[in-house]
Amino acid sequence: MREKQAKALYFRELFATLGVYCLFVLASSIYADSVPAGSLRSLLIASPILPALLMVWTIIRQFQRMDEYVRIWSLENLGMAAAFTAAFSLSYGFMEITGFPRLSMFATWSLIMGSWGVITCLRSWKEKSQ
Amino acid sequence: MKNIVRELRTQREWSQAQLADLLEVSRQTVNAIETGRYDPSLPLAFSIAKLFQLPIEKIFEAE
Repeated sequence: MREKQAKALYFRELFATLGVYCLFVLASSIYADSVPAGSLRSLLIASPILPALLMVWTIIRQFQRMDEYVRIWSLENLGMAAAFTAAFSLSYGFMEITGFPRLSMFATWSLIMGSWGVITCLRSWKEKSQ
Repeated sequence: MKNIVRELRTQREWSQAQLADLLEVSRQTVNAIETGRYDPSLPLAFSIAKLFQLPIEKIFEAE
């Protein structure tokens, strides 16, 4: 598949799953309060994980469409982001023991996605300048 | 590995994007091969050789 077609298909799939995810988050935030505390309420609150898994599937499909160099390059970026996140979360874990405020697990998610984006941009810029 | 992909491409007046389309890879991959940042896999090296109608060893050379 040509690069542009593959990218267009990826963004279509990603935004479609993102739309479904937003609907699930909205629905669960509206209806969760009206459901009594218990396993049904927990399931309702956790339900956005289903479209989130669809997003993961979309990203995996895009990796499978990539050519050999871009796949290696992208996985290197993801590996660097994971290493950065691991180093940060370990360091911050020790800092929490000394009294720093506890961070939500959402912080880890934001950190890995954000660092993945920043690393990708920096390496793209470096490649273009060569 | 050194290669003469850029020379072969410019002789034919192709852009990196055109060569990428012919090889069914991304422009980023063509750029990485031309600048020596990436040594292609054997199947891709064979595709390049077939496209330029040259033996692989004429295009790629060990440093």
